[in-house]
Amino acid sequence: MKLSAIRPILLLICKELAIASLLLLGVSFIVFIILFLSPGDPFSLLLKGQMASDTIGAGTREALGVPTAWYAQYLSWLSNILRGNFGTSIRTGLPVLSEVIRVGINTLYLTIGSMLVTLLLAVPIAILSARRGMTVFNWTSTIFTYIVSALPVFWFGYIVIYISMHQFGLFPLAFGSSSQKIGWLYFMPPVLVLGIGNGTISEVVRYLREEMERVFSEDYIRLARAKGASIWKHSLKEGFLIPITEIIASKIPFILGGAVVVEQVFNWPGMGRMAWQAAQDRDYPLIMGITIVAAIIVRLGSLIKSVVYIIVNPRASQE
Amino acid sequence: MKRYSQYSTNVSDFSDVPFWKKAGTMDLVYVSYGIFIVILVIVSYILGAFNLLPFDPHEINIKLLMAPPKTAGHILGTDFMGRDILSRLIIGIQAYFLPGLLAIAIALVIGTCFGILAGYWGGGFDTAITYINNLLNSFPRLVLILLMVAAFKPDIYYIMVIVGITNVPVVASLIKGKIQFLKQKYFIEAATALGLKNRIIIFKHILWHNCRSVLIIQATLGMAEAILMETSLSYLGFGVQEPIPSWGNMVLSGANYFMQGKFWPSTAPALAILFTIMGFHLLGDGLNNILEMKRSK
Repeated sequence: MKLSAIRPILLLICKELAIASLLLLGVSFIVFIILFLSPGDPFSLLLKGQMASDTIGAGTREALGVPTAWYAQYLSWLSNILRGNFGTSIRTGLPVLSEVIRVGINTLYLTIGSMLVTLLLAVPIAILSARRGMTVFNWTSTIFTYIVSALPVFWFGYIVIYISMHQFGLFPLAFGSSSQKIGWLYFMPPVLVLGIGNGTISEVVRYLREEMERVFSEDYIRLARAKGASIWKHSLKEGFLIPITEIIASKIPFILGGAVVVEQVFNWPGMGRMAWQAAQDRDYPLIMGITIVAAIIVRLGSLIKSVVYIIVNPRASQE
Repeated sequence: MKRYSQYSTNVSDFSDVPFWKKAGTMDLVYVSYGIFIVILVIVSYILGAFNLLPFDPHEINIKLLMAPPKTAGHILGTDFMGRDILSRLIIGIQAYFLPGLLAIAIALVIGTCFGILAGYWGGGFDTAITYINNLLNSFPRLVLILLMVAAFKPDIYYIMVIVGITNVPVVASLIKGKIQFLKQKYFIEAATALGLKNRIIIFKHILWHNCRSVLIIQATLGMAEAILMETSLSYLGFGVQEPIPSWGNMVLSGANYFMQGKFWPSTAPALAILFTIMGFHLLGDGLNNILEMKRSK
């Protein structure tokens, strides 16, 4: 492609990047406001039990250069965040960012794996029902997706643990025994549980089916069919690629939220379990770091969605 | 809450054919199951409110710990402290019923206001509201709530306020889309030309006649969302706390015995969650198919 063809696309991607960073700024502001309004800032927590009176505390505050006005506090907090300094966890005393990244990898395995499971279940159902119309298979699969979407994921987790313990002799609670030959098997139960039970399957099926039905009834697909050409090839971009990236990007927050519960059930040492622990201990810096990292992941997902949309559909840059 | 695609932009028609004659059989089955669940929930809530229960839900019976179903009048058995599970299930509805209604009310009211601002006046409002929607969508809801729990230790009502606020974007974007579609129609233009006040156009012609069904559908889906949130949080130990029963913490307290093969104390509330959430989902989707998509058979 020539540069003149790529340039509008690049411009659009830059615009998306600008929007994403603006949104992340808003995210940081909301998180700061919540922490600012919460009773007892980390500073007073630091001073608790060490300073006898408030006046000495205020003096220390000034001496340490902690600003009192909220916007000054926000700016200094934000500049710390931008330099990657998320503070240290109150409970463990370790730096938050490296802790979150360390466990975030586990959550990434879990969410990507479960997303694949969701798609492996939802895509065939959507394709079959979009192609065949309303058949018996279609109705049973629709009912199935409804039941699965309403399944409380924690209880489903217990069933899977019970079955894998009693039928297959697997102990999924023994995380980290991946050095064994069948180590990957221990990863399967949580991934399956989150993939099936994250409550998004019925929506994914519904959305994909509607989009496919819409594309299948377009004129160019009729023409392709009349010519005897492959309709899959022609409908792949609009009927499959765009809807799938769109639905994945919009479901990332739900899957991350479900990960909190599933990690709790399976003792999976990920971000969700850390968030639970932090909420239990009221460990502000840690939960703040997790929230911001989660928001970054969500924004990254929707950035990828926009880029895919722009690349697949270059008309978008002409508008 | 769910986001429906462009299908839900129809002007309501005032034809004489009642909607249930035009609806598909399956949608009617969905809706009747959903209505059955809603009635069941409301009746159980009233029973619980007037204390018309088979047993006292807080009464500890040491002689009947973990009794299987149908022993000594306990239809669903007893839990690890010998408390009657059925009574606790009925009382457990109180954990989400009023908080859920609060979440729905917040989502609908604020979402409708935002939707009207963005759809009817557009311009700067539209940009601002799109930004707010994207901002709220950036947070995984459970993580945001955990942040709130760490910061404020809120009770279930405050948590439901947050759930309601995070549901605002869905309602706002639906109402916005609907209004932007309706604004091109002649009857709105005629109403403007006749000199009707904006207030009347918005509340009567747009909201009452054309957005009623959208709001009802979003209310049912919002209830499903609220139940899911309440049970998940109670399961995690942040929502309703132990002596007060909630379906979420009942699953949690039964979980220790699950691995020993004693399934019923956690399975009964889990099935209650499953069937209730499914009922609200089916009701919302069925109503959506019948009222909004006008799928004719």
